[in-house]
Amino acid sequence: MSKFSFRGGIHPLHDTHEGKDLTRNKPVRAYASKIVTIPMDMHIGAPSNPIVKKGEQVLLGQVIAEAVGGIGIPVHASVSGTVTDVSAKIMMRKVPSMCITIENNGLDEWIPLNPLGSVESADSTKIIQAIKAAGICGMGGACFPTHIKMSPPPDKQVDIIILNGAECETYLTADFRLMLEQPQKVVDGLRIAMRAMNVKRGLIGIEDNKPEAIDAIKKAAAGRDDIEVCTLKTKYPQGGEKQLIKALINKEVPAGGLPADAGAVVLNVATAAAIRDAVVEGMPLINRITTVTGKVKEPDNLLLPIGTLVNEAVEACGGYSQEPGKIFFGGSMTGICAPNEEASVTKANNGLVVFNEKEAIIPPEDNCIRCSRCIYACPVYLNPYAMKKAFDMDKMDVLENKLNVKECILCGACSYICPSHQYLTPAFKDAKDIIAARRVSK
Amino acid sequence: MKLHVSTGPHVLTREVTQTLMLDVLIALAPTTVAGVYLFGLRAAWVICVSVIAAMISEYVWQKLMKQKASIKDLSAIVTGLILGLNLPSGVPLWMAALASAIAIILVKQLFGGIGNNFMNPAMFGRAFLLASWPARMTSFFLPERLLGNSQAAFGVDMISGATPLVPQKLGITLDIPLSDLLLGNIPGSIGEVCKIAILIGLVYMLVVKVISWHIPVFFVGSVALLSWLLGNDPLIAILSGGVLFGAVFMATDYATNPMQKIGHIIFGIGCGTMVVVIRKWGNYPEGVTYAILFMNCLTPLIDRLSSRRVYGMVKNHV
Amino acid sequence: MSKNNLKGVFVNGIFNENPVFRLVLGTCPTIAVTTSVTNGIGMGLAATLVLLGSNIVVSSLRNFIPNKVRIPAYIVVICTFVTMIQLFMQAFIPSLYESLGIFLPLIVVNCIILARAEAFAGKNPVLDSAVDGLGMGLGFTLALILIAAVREVLGAGSILGYQIMGNGFEPVLLFILAPGGFLAFGLILGIINGIGNKRRSKKIVKEAKAV
Repeated sequence: MSKFSFRGGIHPLHDTHEGKDLTRNKPVRAYASKIVTIPMDMHIGAPSNPIVKKGEQVLLGQVIAEAVGGIGIPVHASVSGTVTDVSAKIMMRKVPSMCITIENNGLDEWIPLNPLGSVESADSTKIIQAIKAAGICGMGGACFPTHIKMSPPPDKQVDIIILNGAECETYLTADFRLMLEQPQKVVDGLRIAMRAMNVKRGLIGIEDNKPEAIDAIKKAAAGRDDIEVCTLKTKYPQGGEKQLIKALINKEVPAGGLPADAGAVVLNVATAAAIRDAVVEGMPLINRITTVTGKVKEPDNLLLPIGTLVNEAVEACGGYSQEPGKIFFGGSMTGICAPNEEASVTKANNGLVVFNEKEAIIPPEDNCIRCSRCIYACPVYLNPYAMKKAFDMDKMDVLENKLNVKECILCGACSYICPSHQYLTPAFKDAKDIIAARRVSK
Repeated sequence: MKLHVSTGPHVLTREVTQTLMLDVLIALAPTTVAGVYLFGLRAAWVICVSVIAAMISEYVWQKLMKQKASIKDLSAIVTGLILGLNLPSGVPLWMAALASAIAIILVKQLFGGIGNNFMNPAMFGRAFLLASWPARMTSFFLPERLLGNSQAAFGVDMISGATPLVPQKLGITLDIPLSDLLLGNIPGSIGEVCKIAILIGLVYMLVVKVISWHIPVFFVGSVALLSWLLGNDPLIAILSGGVLFGAVFMATDYATNPMQKIGHIIFGIGCGTMVVVIRKWGNYPEGVTYAILFMNCLTPLIDRLSSRRVYGMVKNHV
Repeated sequence: MSKNNLKGVFVNGIFNENPVFRLVLGTCPTIAVTTSVTNGIGMGLAATLVLLGSNIVVSSLRNFIPNKVRIPAYIVVICTFVTMIQLFMQAFIPSLYESLGIFLPLIVVNCIILARAEAFAGKNPVLDSAVDGLGMGLGFTLALILIAAVREVLGAGSILGYQIMGNGFEPVLLFILAPGGFLAFGLILGIINGIGNKRRSKKIVKEAKAV
């Protein structure tokens, strides 16, 4: 069987099976948090506007914040109980985020749900609206509101929907367990999305280090001609949107364009499952599977309510096994560091990894030895060596216009592979921020 | 509790400069052993002196300049070893030491240490000796064990001789068995004669992915092709001089060759062409050293010219 | 002008604004002729004489030369002196004339001489210009001697033709060859500038402390 792949990329931590062995065989376990702190700006777009007050009682799935603007999505209560606080707190961003804190009363009282109908019977014109109402955004990490993704500009012809089950990031097994345990949900989600967008072809890409998931999804999609399960080569960043499109349909997303320009829409498998829940059961997005791993006593895959705090998630896995030095959301390649233990799990957090002090320290930079590894590793064919040199010399114009730093997807492959530990990805992130800030100030 | 906060990636590869250099040393091991076996203890002395001199000069220089000592990255040892293997076994030991010191201090440290040198330090060390003491550098000891039968083959005196390239340059055709060329039963520098050992090193480096195949293949290939076009025996052209050693261990030096694949190809072809040009029209019978140094100087230019299409820079949309 | 100032102009050419090591002018003859100290002295003195003469003449004519054609005028003046020196050398020191070869007539385009005519002699009185020419010329000569000494000792084991290294010394041929010229020039330039920079930074630190 031929395996789909792209040019460039790396194999991080392959000697430990990408760190996934810790939680690979742990079935998803639901956990009810005692307290949740839900930030209003989990998604890309304008932060949602809180509509509950301190002291108010809320039910599971009740809208607690309204969507603002066209890209915004509403936020729902992920536990039932009392709102104890509505205030700005330091979360994952540089600036404080408005957060709603709810104390769980343990009653699990749901608001009345109104499903649209079954996979085949749901009114296809109302699906996208339902997705927006359910507060669904990209659950692979980017957190881009899904209803926007699924309504491309009318001049773009989308003829394929790709489900991203690559899970190329290290340590994470959340998508793997989802595909293994609830393959039907994933396939149904894809079928609903295809119906909503009137697309006749669906692909599900899964890396070949997850054969069980491939089998399960194949079984669930059996008998459907319009859905194809593709085996991807295990490689990082195989699950990057652009890389996935290149690997599966051999088309490139034009620079500065959308996947829709290549005729495709890419959704995460977890997003697909959430779409299915929203349409068939009317359930908003209030919990997600998160892999809690690293230096915790019992690494596990947990079904966590959105807004669960780091310390509670760790407690659910038996607490720290070693003094933590660094905690980050996501895998080790692109994970975002939590500033403190009060940061909370958002809709995009597929993983929570704890490192001890020793693992947390990034070694200092050595002289670049010009080994070219970063160039070979770059999945968007940039020249990280030249980009770093330009950055060190503060040549932002060269970076922007000649070296195309804005095409960098910040996957971290170059930094990972560098034998002299050059701080490549952080430099490019800074460069992108500086260039973006300049453009705004102009 | 204090948590570290940094931008990803949070885990880095275990492959650092030191392990890469160690791999190169391992790849050089067969060549070193073969050289010492063929040329005797004298060769071992030359190699030892150049390696130790390289290490000492790097350490002393960094101490004097109050820089962070980088002796642990093994690159000085690699430079010293490659330089030692590039010398004839009969060279005075002080010359080996001097060449090492010049390679490390003048070429490597003065330009900013590892990675910043624009020329291959070992190559420059050899070129320095070659230009300064040409007689010393071109009298090669014959492998000791083969004095008897080699004498007949080369028609030169018992102790020193020239590489098979010299008769070729003079228009004399030699009849050296292929096995002798491959096993190293010919005069030459310590490391360059035993082609089998060099090929083992090449295979090792390719397997552990220290180097890519482009430079060696295009280098050797262009030498063979051009020699053949000019009417010389391509096999002798490749196997008799330092082409193979240069293509495998010296042209592939990270710091001094281009960074992109297309650059590697241009670099390899350029080196090969220069070798043939120097051999055919130059004053020297062998031109690997100068060919590589010449192309080293062109590397920034090649890097500048070679670019690749960035993802998404497609002309027409779908 | 005061005596002090003249001395300053003179020393300036030798140290602070040494044409070779500070201004990095005239590097072509510097690298080409410094294979032996004798050549270096010959070249240096020839250039000094030309400088002296051209500076004096340019300075005394500075009010008559129209600004627009001053460069051709300077060149004509310099040419005259170079031709004189060349004929003189050919007549009296033919061996030196032979070994300097093309670089002797090339003094015409030596940037030091034109630079001094343009930057100094064209704006200053005759006496000052003469002293400047002498200083610059001597600075050039000293620089050539320094580089040539290093190259000759290393490359031939001799100085002014006298063998000074022992019998065991094997001359480093490279230093007589062109690459050796670049190497020796670069290294000496580097050392001198390194020392100069260190002194300057020390001075700055001292001044900062005094303040």
